[in-house]
Amino acid sequence: MTDSPVAPQMWEPAARVAGAAEQIAAPSLTYWQDVRQRLWRNRTAMAGLVFIILLVIAAIFGPMVSPHTYYDQDLKLANIPPAFQLYEVTDGSGETTRFFFNSGNLNIYEVTDDGRIAGLIRGKKDLIKKQTLFTFGDVEVTLHTPTQTLTRGDGVVLAPGQWQWNMSNVFGTDQLGRDVLARQLYGARISLTVAFVATLVNFFIGVFYGGISGYLGGRIDTLMMRIVEVIATIPLTLYVILIMVVFNSGFFSVIIAIGSVYWVDMARIVRGQILTLKQQDYVAAARTMGASTGRILTRHLLPNSIGPILVALTMLIPSAIFIESFMSFIGLGVTPPEASWGTLTSEAVETLRAYPYQMFFPAAAISLTMFAFNFLGDGLRDALDPRLRT
Amino acid sequence: MTGYVMQRLVLMLVTLLAIITLTFFLMHAVPGGPFVSDKMMAPEIQAAINAKYHLDDPVWLQYLNYLKGIASFDLGPSFKYAGMSVNEIIAEGLPTTLKVGVLALICVVSLGVPLGIVAALNRNRWPDTLVMVVATIGVAVPSYVIATVALYLFALRLGWVPTFGLDDWRGYFLPVFALSGFWISFIARLARSSLLETLQQDYMITAKAKGLKPGQILFKHGLRNSLIPVVTVLGPVVANLITGSFVIEQIFALPGIGRHFVLSITNRDYTAIMGITIFYAAVLMVMIFIVDMLYLVLDPRIKYREAR
Repeated sequence: MTDSPVAPQMWEPAARVAGAAEQIAAPSLTYWQDVRQRLWRNRTAMAGLVFIILLVIAAIFGPMVSPHTYYDQDLKLANIPPAFQLYEVTDGSGETTRFFFNSGNLNIYEVTDDGRIAGLIRGKKDLIKKQTLFTFGDVEVTLHTPTQTLTRGDGVVLAPGQWQWNMSNVFGTDQLGRDVLARQLYGARISLTVAFVATLVNFFIGVFYGGISGYLGGRIDTLMMRIVEVIATIPLTLYVILIMVVFNSGFFSVIIAIGSVYWVDMARIVRGQILTLKQQDYVAAARTMGASTGRILTRHLLPNSIGPILVALTMLIPSAIFIESFMSFIGLGVTPPEASWGTLTSEAVETLRAYPYQMFFPAAAISLTMFAFNFLGDGLRDALDPRLRT
Repeated sequence: MTGYVMQRLVLMLVTLLAIITLTFFLMHAVPGGPFVSDKMMAPEIQAAINAKYHLDDPVWLQYLNYLKGIASFDLGPSFKYAGMSVNEIIAEGLPTTLKVGVLALICVVSLGVPLGIVAALNRNRWPDTLVMVVATIGVAVPSYVIATVALYLFALRLGWVPTFGLDDWRGYFLPVFALSGFWISFIARLARSSLLETLQQDYMITAKAKGLKPGQILFKHGLRNSLIPVVTVLGPVVANLITGSFVIEQIFALPGIGRHFVLSITNRDYTAIMGITIFYAAVLMVMIFIVDMLYLVLDPRIKYREAR
């Protein structure tokens, strides 16, 4: 203890400046300004928010500007990949044909100079020799099926050239020749509609049910919470299935099912909040001044529990989206030709062997949306936590 | 204590009755009977079938008979598979579902909890970051995406495991992994945050101050207290493993209850839908009950009173 690093002069008292203690270093912020600032600084949460906003814009305006519809089929142009390697053949008259070879269905498609698909090139199939013969002007190209090699008439094996992004169907087409991008956007609409309905239900039923139950207390509370317990015992998926059996499967049934029972978790959270908040003095004050129960609930109690409500909402929305895609995946959700991310994934599973890349877009869409909502929810929870307030 | 248990049991019966009533009347609200199909049936045959399955009785009588059947654990005959009862359908699918489900549950507990502990003990170091990144992915990516991507990678590309069925022991890997993936991640996150909170409690400092070994502190004081939230979610975990099995059994073509259930919906086999729903509800309620009892054992601070 003898060789302390603290020099003796450091123990001197600091100089007193009049009014220094009164000086305010940072501007004082209201709770919501502080929350907004902290959320703004949280990069992953903001990325999630930006993604959700972009998704909403794409879902609303995308199908309007897209040249394709989600239901138009073109079997000649089925299972086109989003990008392909070009081959080029020049015939005697100097005319060059650009085409690509789709190894999944052994077809050859002509491609224009700007990367659009001009159409299917038909060849003569020779099943005995296991080859297909294509003619471009005076040049013949043979496709040997087992080895998947293209040979020109003079015996030269054609080598694939540069990669070209598919300009007519940016995400390619599915097994019925429908544009995958258009179907993805339609799927985004479905998912966001589900999200919207879940939000509405949670706000209008969940919040008020929980609020009334928590505020009134006593026997009414017990009864209301027993009902919630009964509903919550069965997983939501089972309700969706039961309702689907009654109303026939389809998007409408998913909406009805989510609309009728998806508020239970929110009701519990809000009730818990209200139970603690209603002991506060300002509630007693409001009641003394003659405020009605409805007014106390909507003006005092619910606004003060908005934080947990928002956090719960950002967790409940993705699980509603997930349930819809889950139901659609097992074939109980939206009906064809409507597309949801779930049906798109299950369609991709059918062609997993030949076209594994078809899995990518729907899987990425649903996963990214889940990430976005999760990140936003986490960020919001941290931002609303008064313990972390600086 | 016994009073509380009795109260819970009565409540469970009431809930089950509500669920039976709900499913029964929902199924009877479906327009058209179960035997209205594309083929035109002679009215006599129609009447004979209706009489065989007591569909010509008034609804309340059918309801009472159904309740009577359930009381003796008889869920009635299947409408679509002649000669098969719903009990037989469940008995046929149960072993498969149970094997995969129990393995998944074991994975959730035996992987999720240790991962959470490792992350919490190495807070803000690489094991924590790694676990949290993986867990975030696991929570966000839906199980069917995990299942299909795993199927493509490990079964089609690498050929390590069979693409479907459980004939080979390696066939269990992917279904169990896909089914438990979300909950391993969820439990890891939960265990981590809960343990971190427990580690900051005063009694942890006391334990350290009185000279307990680090292992003793962690297991006797830290874990026991921080695992309570983990135990509470085990009820929902079981519920989700059950519903998750619908999609997993479809992707991997496993002959479990989930697959039978989805099939019975597309076949509009009303008794099977009703029976399996009630079976699921009963299983869930028993599981939630067991979890609540576990909770009581784990946390002596909680004393259940008879009327809350």
